[in-house]
This record gives sequence, structure tokens and C-alpha cells, in this order.
Amino acid sequence: MFNKKKNRFLETLIEWIFRFSGSITTLVILLISIFLFTEGWGLFHSSTIEKGYVLCVNQENKVANLSPKQVKEIYDGNITNWKEVGGSDAPIEILRMDDIASLYTEEEIGSNFEHLPAKLSEAMVQRKNAIGFFPQQFIGKDFKGRILPPETISPSEYFGGKEWFPTATPAAQFGVLPLILGTLWVSIGAILLALPFGMAVSIYLAEIAGNRVRKILKPLIELLAGIPSVVYGFFGLVVIVPFIRNLFNLPVGETALAGSIVLAIMALPTIITVAEDAMRTTPVAMKESSLALGATHWQTIYRVVIPYASSGIMAAIVLGIGRAVGETMAVLMVTGNAAVIPHSFTDPVRTIPATIAAELGETAIGSAQYQALFMLGAILFLLTLVLSIWAEIIRKDPKVQ
Amino acid sequence: MKINAKNVNFYYGDFHALKNISMDIEPNTVTAFIGPSGCGKSTFLRLFNRMNDLIDGIRLEGECLVGGQNIYDKSVSVDELRKAVGMVFQKPNPFPKSIFENVAYGLRVNGVKDKKIIAETVEKSLHQAALWDEVKDKLKKSAFELSGGQQQRLCIARALAISPSIILMDEPASALDPISTSKIEELIFELKKVYTVVIVTHNMQQAARVSDKTGFFMLGELIEFNDTKKIFLNPDVEQTQNYITGRFG
Amino acid sequence: MFTSTSKKKSVQSIVFLLFRIMSYSVVAILFLIIGFIVMRGIGVISWDFLTKAPEDGMTKGGIFPAIVGTLYLVLGSMLVAFPIGVMSGIYITEYATNKQFVRVVRVMTNNLGGIPSIVFGLFGMSLFVHTLKFGDSLIAGSLTLGLLALPLIIRVTEEALKSIPDVYRHGSLALGATKLQTIIRVILPAAFPNIMTGLILSIGRVSGETAPILFTAAAYFLPHLPSSMFDQVMALPYHLYVIATSGTDLEATRPMAYGTALVLIVIVLVMNVLANLLRKRR
Repeated sequence: MFNKKKNRFLETLIEWIFRFSGSITTLVILLISIFLFTEGWGLFHSSTIEKGYVLCVNQENKVANLSPKQVKEIYDGNITNWKEVGGSDAPIEILRMDDIASLYTEEEIGSNFEHLPAKLSEAMVQRKNAIGFFPQQFIGKDFKGRILPPETISPSEYFGGKEWFPTATPAAQFGVLPLILGTLWVSIGAILLALPFGMAVSIYLAEIAGNRVRKILKPLIELLAGIPSVVYGFFGLVVIVPFIRNLFNLPVGETALAGSIVLAIMALPTIITVAEDAMRTTPVAMKESSLALGATHWQTIYRVVIPYASSGIMAAIVLGIGRAVGETMAVLMVTGNAAVIPHSFTDPVRTIPATIAAELGETAIGSAQYQALFMLGAILFLLTLVLSIWAEIIRKDPKVQ
Repeated sequence: MKINAKNVNFYYGDFHALKNISMDIEPNTVTAFIGPSGCGKSTFLRLFNRMNDLIDGIRLEGECLVGGQNIYDKSVSVDELRKAVGMVFQKPNPFPKSIFENVAYGLRVNGVKDKKIIAETVEKSLHQAALWDEVKDKLKKSAFELSGGQQQRLCIARALAISPSIILMDEPASALDPISTSKIEELIFELKKVYTVVIVTHNMQQAARVSDKTGFFMLGELIEFNDTKKIFLNPDVEQTQNYITGRFG
Repeated sequence: MFTSTSKKKSVQSIVFLLFRIMSYSVVAILFLIIGFIVMRGIGVISWDFLTKAPEDGMTKGGIFPAIVGTLYLVLGSMLVAFPIGVMSGIYITEYATNKQFVRVVRVMTNNLGGIPSIVFGLFGMSLFVHTLKFGDSLIAGSLTLGLLALPLIIRVTEEALKSIPDVYRHGSLALGATKLQTIIRVILPAAFPNIMTGLILSIGRVSGETAPILFTAAAYFLPHLPSSMFDQVMALPYHLYVIATSGTDLEATRPMAYGTALVLIVIVLVMNVLANLLRKRR
């Protein structure tokens, strides 16, 4: 009598589509981590030597391999003796292609470079203390020098390296320390600027302002979150940057400070919304008992409301940092993008997201730089993931102090 | 259509909500369930259109039969069952749609497409629910423009439109004023001719006025199930007597 | 006896005044930014600016291809994100019975919302542009922006559905409607205005995003409009970025930049006002 009549197939199918959609965010997060890490991890297996070139030394040289950092130091003239890199005590002689051209005449090399492979080999045999950086195509089968193994970068060099110089020759430098520090400087500066305002506004909205004022202010502050970051960047570029340059009498106004100011404005809505929500959850009975004991409204706020909402306020700060750390366009436009370890807020800095945005467009797919940028993306992804989970945890548990 | 419950035990998680209840309800009668709050009367009512299924962690033992068929059998389709067993809720719950669309809803979800049949059925159901004269000129208006009592009769019309055999009413008048309540009661009396009506009520006078048989529930047990007259004049069980005379509850 | 002579009260009034001033100054920043862009940009806006392509190294002409490109990207991303986001919200609120699952999904949705847009750009480049071989294209950009918009749409849908009282669900089910019929015929129509606010807010958000389309869709300059899903597009936010930072003659392109910024701001403002109006209608 009540047996199945309707077509169940469609219902079931649609429910499965819903179920799949329900898992979509989980799936996307999973895919993001897989793609970023597989692309990024390749960095630690690929050569940092410019494609198509090799590094070589004399057969008798005891140095087995050189790190990208050592290569750079040698070519910059900072390392001049083989003993500094584990070899015998002898000065390093650098051979570039230009040097080869001055060592041999054009006739010796040949008009079509047909004798060049032989000459390169000869040069490397004759010079015991030389290091050569030559195009792969001119290394012949009977090359008598010893080709150094491709220079890969180790995770510790990547994370601890102080130089980000992805297009340097002979060996690109991928030290992310300046970028990480740049990101931290700008973000922490932003939070320091935003915090007093964020607290003041959230206290004002939650406790002081009347309902009518609140109803006007709240949407306006939310609107602040809606302005595109590129517009903030543009505003920063044409207003804040010149202002800072004139104020501090700097050669350029694109500085960490400019980034911090723009980011502070951008992080404010997040901080205000979360902190205000937290303050609003303070039980009325708690506030009333404080007032009944003769405390003023302000004493009640800082002795009852703020302590009660402290975990929510912490979460607001953490989320604000998360927002600041990941912001790309605005920061890219106002911080000057110098990849050096910052020493002052009036120095230009470069953040992780800005580096990705500025460089990824000009790299070859699969190159070391491409992979290094994906690794930066993976770091950023992890960092913001940790921050948002952290915020989630402290917000959920009001007892955490 | 008759209703039978055989040794029904029902649990919300660990809570034993209905304890070994058996009951037989005859077709074309009005049966009232009374008892103090939380006694299980609503839970018992909701077994018969399986509305309890919507709650997590429930467990049922025993048999519930409608028209002789075990409605908790695997082969039973819940929506077919609910078509045959209509329900009116405690608070009027019209959909945010027009008066007409509220009544037509059950037809539409059951695949009726013929506009003429729908219009006829809507009119007939509104007549049956004694609402037609009040709403015939504003069928396209939102159901929320009606008064509470009218909304409840609209919900009854909505239930009638799919021609059920049984109508379950879960305190249908508790949110209404006395005049609306008496209208609903008159309506129940009329409905008995065609349907089997089961009504849960807080109001003992209401049970006495509208029902043929009454079941008295307490703490998940069916204390007494008897002719309404008998229950209110000379109950077999002392607990019933105490409740009726207001000594507790 | 009860007059406040104490110092407590005057401290309070000073502190409260300070908070009020700080609150209004935050709002003042908003008006400063919007006002500044409007003042500088309004003179640039003209029919030609809105309907012509850039000319003379972006110093003259208009931003028509960028407007069209952004329109396409918004449309494409919403075609992806809106149905999936709404279905996801429906599953979480109406179907999912496993509380653990719902918790995981909610945390994941929050987390996805916190991931920086540049990371979406990297992901979109790796998955859509290279792995799926869409190339720099409208479709790759739309998919990337769609993923970015998902959390917002899901959250708004969830809240909209939760605000629908259970009595509607029960009323419909008691009439023999199936769960799906109940959702489609009763729940979704009732929740529709609130779900629309989610759509509108994400349109506002997506139309201003730059980082996700940098490597997936955006073109510096295209002489003609895109003709297929696999064409690159110009887009307003990217256009603003390039003319603000990398023109050959930055001073000469400034007016164009102000105009572009104004158009972007207007889009965002209109979307926010629309969303607020819809929300108030309840």
C-alpha cells in the first residue's frame, strides 16, 4: 500500500551531487596542498645553475662539489682560495667565456667555434686552480676537465639563506629569509597600527555606540573590507608613498611602513568584526553585577568585557595577521620590493606574496625559480592555514587565556 | 483506515520515551491523546506518519500498523505513507506562498499537473476546512495575511487536499483564540465522517467535546485507553481519575 | 549625594570620547579613499572611456575591453561557484547527519576562505593552465576565481537555510513531499533573497581580485575582445595594476588609472548596497 512509487533514482543521484559539493572545499584544500608541494618540492632536486651551462674544475681538484652559495661567493670574489671550500690551499682562478676569448686568438678557436671544445678542455687541464663556467654545447666528449655535479639547493639553504637572487649566474640564490622577514615586518607593523584602532572601534560598537549609530557604522566598516586590494595599492601608491617620502625625507617612499599602513587599513574590518562579536557575547548578568558594585561603564568594559572576550580578541588579532600575511597586490605596489633583510620601517622590503606575483610571470615552467616560487606559495599556504586553525581553536574555547 | 500499535517501545538515545504501548484505533473515529507535558503523547502520534524519523538517535521496538501494514517495514516509502496520513501541527505553519499554492502544494509534489483538477481540489479542500468563504476572493494573497485561526484551517485544508485516510493533529488549537478553537473543533467533528482523526491535546474539555475514544498517557506509558465518556465520567484507573479531576499534572 | 564628583567618571568620558574619535576616523579613512578616487576619477569618466579600447600606450582611449573581460570573468566564476556553493550549503544544512563530517567541512570552508588569493593564483596556474592545458584563458581564470568565491557563497547559503524554520520542512514532509521536493519547492524559495546576497557579495569580491588572474587569465593589452573561453582577457583590477605601476609614462597614464579605480569602486559599492537592500527585505 505504501510501497515505493516515485522515481528514487533521481533523488539519490541528486543527493550524491549535493554530497560531492559538500566536500568541495575539503577537496580544493587537498588539491592545493598537493599541487603546491609537488611543484615546490622539485626545487630541492633541480639544478640552480643556469640551464645549458656547466661548472667545471681541473681533474686534480679535490673539491667534490660546491653549493650554490659557494659558487656565488666565488664568482663575487668573496671566496678566493680553494681551502675555503674544502680544497687545497691555492687561489681560485675564475674562467668565464670572456676569459677564454682573451686567452686564445680567434684563429685558434675557429671562425665557427669549431676548436672551442678542445681549447676549453685544454684550458681546464693547464690551470690546476681554475673553475670554469661554460655553455654545455661547447663541452666535447673528450673534455679533460671535471664537471661538477649539478648544484641543488638543500631545504636548510632555502629556509636559512639570506639572499634571494633567482636570476643570478652562475648559480641562482634562493634564500627566503629576507622574504619571510619582510613579510613579518610588514604584517607585524600593520597589526601594531591596526590594533589600537581595532580595539577602540570594536569597544565603541559593542558597548558605547547606540543602536542607530552602530547600524550606520557597521556596514561602512564592512565596506572597507570590500574595496579591492589593487585599489588600496593604488591609493597607497599615489597618497601614502609620497607622504612617507616627504615626511621622512627619503629617496623613495615605497617602504615597509607604507605597506604596514595600507595593510592596517585592510586588516581593520576583520579585527573589528571578530573582536566586536566576541565582546557582544559577554553575558549581561556579568556586566550588570559589575555595574551594581559601583564600577563605571568604562571600568566594567576593561575589567569584565575585555577579559571575558580576550580569546575572541586574540582570534581577531591572529585572523588580522593572516589577512596581512597573504595580501598581495596592495603590498606589491607600495613596499618597493627589495629582497634584502630589512633593518628599519623606512627600508623597502619584499614580502612572500609580492615575490610570487612579481616573478612568476617571467619564469620558465619547471625551472628552479618556478619551483622556488611554488615553494613560497606552499609556505604561505601552510602559514595562513596554521593561523586560521589557531584562530578557530582560541575562538572556540573561551577559557583559553 | 485503522491504526494499530503492538507493544511499541520508543527511545530517544538512552531515554525510554514510550513504554510497551498497544492500541487499536477504528476507522472514522476521533481519538484523543491526553496527559501531562512530556508524557509521550506527541511522540506516539508522530510514530504514525514517521515524523520521528527526522530526529537523530531514535530507536523503535514493536509494530505500528496503518491499514494493516507495518509502516516501519523496509518496503514502505515514507512519502507515500505521509500522503495517506496527513498531519496538522501545533502552530499554524503555512508555507511562504499564496493561499492557493499552500493547498495545491501536496498535489504538486505528488505529481498532479492538471490545472483543472488542482483548482477543483483546492476549492473542495477549502470548503471542507470551512475556509472557502473567507478566502475565495484572495487566493493569490500570501498565506501570512490570514489570522492565526484561518492559517490553521488553511493547514488543515492543505492536509485534506491530498485525500489522506488519517489525519493526525498535534495540539492544533493550542496557539489559537477561543473562537478559532471552537471552529476547529466543529471541523474535527465534520471530518470524522470521512477520515480517521487522531488528536493530541492539552485541553481536557476539548478531548471530551470532540473525541470518541481517549487515551491517557503518563511518563511514557499508556495508562488507560477507553471510550471518552467512560474516561471522563468513570475511569477504570485511579491515576486517570486523579488527572481528570486535576489532582496533578 | 549621588553626583559624580569622582575622577572615575572623567576618565570614562575622556576614554569614550577617544574611542568615538578613533571610530569615526576609521570611517573617515573609508570616505577619504572613496572621495579621493571619485574626485580624481570623475573627470575621466565619459562615454568614450567606458566604450573604447586603450590607445597610445594606455594614455588615451578607454577601458572597454577590461570592463568586458571582468564581466566575463565574473559570469564565468559565478557559473562555477554559485551552483556548487549553494549545493554545498544545502548538503551541510539539510542532508549531512554526521556531525564530525559537518565540523570538518565547516573548518575546511573557513580555512579555504583564509587562503591568500595569490595561492589560488598559483594553484589555478598549476592545475588549470598547465595540467589541464587550458592555457592563460578566460576559463582558467573563471575557475580559479570560482574556487576563491566558494567559501563566501557556502557560508551565506548555510546561514540563509538555517534561518528557515523547521516547521516549513515538517509541514512539507508531512504532506508526502520528498526531501528534495521540500528543498526545491519550499526551502530554497524562502531562502532565496538571502542566498542572493551571497551571490552579489561574491560578484563584488571577484570583480576586484587581481592576484588569482595574474597567471591564469589576464592580458596586459588585447586589441580585440575575447572570442572563446580559451582566449586571454583584460580585466579591470589587473588593468589598474599595470597602468599604475608599469607604464612607459606613468604621469600620462595616471588619469586612466583614476578612472579605472573609480569604475572598480563603483562596482563594489553598488554590489554592497544591493546586498544590504536584499538583506533588509526579510
